[in-house]
Amino acid sequence: MTSKIRCLLGMLGTDVHSKGIRTLAQLLRDHGVEVIYLGEHNTADGMVSALLAEDADVLGISFSTATYVHYTRDLLEKMQSAGVDDVPVMLGGLIHRDDEAELREIGVKGIFGPGSTTDQIVLFLEQITGKSLSAARSRD
Amino acid sequence: MRHVAATDPVALLADVRRGDVRASARLISRIEAGDESVTPLLQSLYRQGGRTPIIGITGPPGAGKSTLVDQLLTIYRSRSLTIAVLAIDPASPFTGGAILGDRVRMARHNTDAGVFIRSMSSRGVLGGLARAASDALIVLDAMGKDLILVETVGVGQSEIDIMRHAASTVILQTPAGGDVVQAVKAGILEIGDVFVVNKSDTSGADRTVAALRESVEFRHDPHDASAWHPPVLKTQATEASGVQELVEVLELHAVYLRAHPEALRRRLLTQARVCLTELVSDGLRRRYLGAESMSAPLAALLEEIVDRRTDPYDAARQLLGALG
Repeated sequence: MTSKIRCLLGMLGTDVHSKGIRTLAQLLRDHGVEVIYLGEHNTADGMVSALLAEDADVLGISFSTATYVHYTRDLLEKMQSAGVDDVPVMLGGLIHRDDEAELREIGVKGIFGPGSTTDQIVLFLEQITGKSLSAARSRD
Repeated sequence: MRHVAATDPVALLADVRRGDVRASARLISRIEAGDESVTPLLQSLYRQGGRTPIIGITGPPGAGKSTLVDQLLTIYRSRSLTIAVLAIDPASPFTGGAILGDRVRMARHNTDAGVFIRSMSSRGVLGGLARAASDALIVLDAMGKDLILVETVGVGQSEIDIMRHAASTVILQTPAGGDVVQAVKAGILEIGDVFVVNKSDTSGADRTVAALRESVEFRHDPHDASAWHPPVLKTQATEASGVQELVEVLELHAVYLRAHPEALRRRLLTQARVCLTELVSDGLRRRYLGAESMSAPLAALLEEIVDRRTDPYDAARQLLGALG
């Protein structure tokens, strides 16, 4: 019995700069991750119900707007009331270093701002899920 | 309140049967991971299942399947029907990874508790896609929705096998050149109950409809009043155009099946055969060609084949003979 890393990727609100998250989706696919891609313009409620139905291991959100702390706090609260706050959340995009402490305090597990590498994200996914991606690759 | 997923099988089954999203989602994950401990659960669900009609939608990549499913969801929801969707997307044959993007087209239904959407990758499921999908359909059936929609890319035997589970199969095509010949080659004319030419606003749509109609009618005796004659429709799914007509045709097909129990029975027997074939071949694969570790006798047998001391035919006969 082997299982893959299922990772939900999407963007919240009016943020439309999806180049980063589309790139990440392809990089993760090439590392053997099963990406469930939600695209742009999601609501926190929509993301939470997608998370429930897809039983994803990780939720990744990309931000290029300045309101990410507000959006993330709202999302984490909704995840908590739906009982899915055990799913780790990672953020990417234009996340300012000054906000990292606050984001971690409210429960964000991974932060990948400018300069982050694919290897860092892949390592994070393996560690946080306890699943190995090389095993997934060698099976095919 | 924190939701605690039931670990007790009886409680888990009860959760699935009352449509609990997380319990059902987790059960599908265990199916995808090839967890053998789900078998007794599926057995129990199967025996009490079979109540939810399944509509299958298949067609080439980019034909508009997800967009059509999104429009169908809107119409069915306006009639207060609850729906489960299984959306199957291809995976990378090189890494086993995948980008499952069908949900993007259906995002407006994300917050609707009457819609359950699950994405599945066409690879990386132990025992093969057809097996995982048919097991997942047992779970969706048990959730007690009014309708199940299953969407696959229409290539390959697995996808055709999945469509066998559907009470009604919709084959989606686009007006791009060569499509009808491709459909004939792919052998999907045989499994379609309804044919849809999507993107009807693009040039060549009428020609594609005419060509499809000719091919479909060629396969059916026009004087056989007891047979279902697959209609060919035009849609423009992005604009919801023609989708209402598709819903009406699907209703006619459901009426046809109710009025012709022998046709329905034939269909169910085919489903049972496909399902049993999957299970037997999966069992044989696991037993003799197990992915986890190769047995010493199998390794020796492979050596013999390569050295041409025996041949694959005799080797297979030998393995099957061991079944007794």
